Amino acid sequence: MIKAIDVTKEYRVEGRWHHAVSGVSFSVSRGEKLALIGRNGAGKSTLIRMLGGVELPTSGTIEQTMSVSWPLALQGGFQGSLTGNDNMRFIARIYNKPFDDIKAYVEDFAELGKYLSEPVKIYSIGMRARFAFALSLAIDFDCYLIDEVIAAGDQRFHRRSHEELFEKRADRSLILASHMDEILKSYCSRALVMHHGRGSLFDDIELALQVYNDL
Amino acid sequence: MRDFWKDLATQWRVVGALLIREIYTRFGRNGLGFAWIVFEPLIFAIPVLLVWSVVRDPYEHGVALMPFLWSGYLPILLFRHIGARMLLFVRVNAGLLYHRQVTIFDIFLARCLLEVASNLAAVVASFTLFYSVGLLDLPRDLPMFYLGYFFMIWWSVAVGLIVGGLSERTEWAEKIWQPYSYLYMFFSGFFFLAEWLPEGIRGWALLQPGFQAYEMIRGGMFGNAVKTHGDPAYTSLALGVLTLLGLVLMRQSRQYVVAE
Repeated sequence: MIKAIDVTKEYRVEGRWHHAVSGVSFSVSRGEKLALIGRNGAGKSTLIRMLGGVELPTSGTIEQTMSVSWPLALQGGFQGSLTGNDNMRFIARIYNKPFDDIKAYVEDFAELGKYLSEPVKIYSIGMRARFAFALSLAIDFDCYLIDEVIAAGDQRFHRRSHEELFEKRADRSLILASHMDEILKSYCSRALVMHHGRGSLFDDIELALQVYNDL
Repeated sequence: MRDFWKDLATQWRVVGALLIREIYTRFGRNGLGFAWIVFEPLIFAIPVLLVWSVVRDPYEHGVALMPFLWSGYLPILLFRHIGARMLLFVRVNAGLLYHRQVTIFDIFLARCLLEVASNLAAVVASFTLFYSVGLLDLPRDLPMFYLGYFFMIWWSVAVGLIVGGLSERTEWAEKIWQPYSYLYMFFSGFFFLAEWLPEGIRGWALLQPGFQAYEMIRGGMFGNAVKTHGDPAYTSLALGVLTLLGLVLMRQSRQYVVAE
């Protein structure tokens, strides 16, 4: 279970406090898949970073009783100047997992071949998405935080991630931010629609998308 | 209690991983790589020491110049390097905070350990070099020398914490650190002993824990040949207070982290 209670995040922008996220509360239990829907700047990525423990809320609390992945996003989580292999070594060390197992899984899933010995900064967005996703699947979390990256991959990657997250790991939770209706519908059952930092929960993803499109 | 040991084990694992990563990113994986840890400070120290020893009188105030400069300059390097590595260290490492078990304290510890290890390696290497050509003798009072160097490390780390913590909240910290770290050379104790100062100034100068550490290093270096004024009790207390202040500032800076 991961539970956000009245979570608020403020940033100082041009000398004034700006609410990126205001008083958002919700919970996700084991196996639940929650969609985060909202326009650019609505607070989705900020919320995901707080859920992942990267940034701290200005007020409110986040409780977790299951292991939560780092935010899988287009940026962050890796050292660009280090190679894929060195990034894997670092992550294997801090999560206390055998490097060889992780490497075998990532090689198979991400299909990056010789690029694993190249610095991560030269990876394309799609390669980076596959790498981040493979690595977090290899570490094996109870809940995955995914910010847009699925949309960056190709059809084959979509099919394989769907397979990994739904068939092999149906009991895992997912919090997924995306602008692609098809992806949201195929992955999630509930939705948090965000608008100007506030959130409304929906138990019906179709209804949530409709509300969002009418905003 | 079991949780405590488990947390400690996790922390050591994380700090170890950060250390290896820091070595790879700073020194590269090929060529000299790890050896740079020793060479980097030596490249600073050797030319400076040799130039100073040529331009200055070999005996000032009855103290041999080379041991005086050697025991003065390596602490300065440590102090300046740690401070420089701590400026904005939370911000530049925000990417690492994507991984929940990595805390800013771990990053701080890893950076300090590397800086201290590098400096100590340079101390040993430069000493061996100068000793073998007869420019340096063994410190007369080794325990006192070690104690002084220990306080010097602690002082540098405490200042690093404060500078690092402040630099996250105001850009003034960075602006002030640059000239300060340079001017520090002149009032740190690099060039003088407390005994040489007028009595009215001496008491004030000795309020600096860094100057206290210098006094102990000099006491260790020259033994009874010089009169020194180091006070380990005062130094521990002052550094304890500064460290606490630094830890609070660093803890608060976590709040200001904006990830990439």
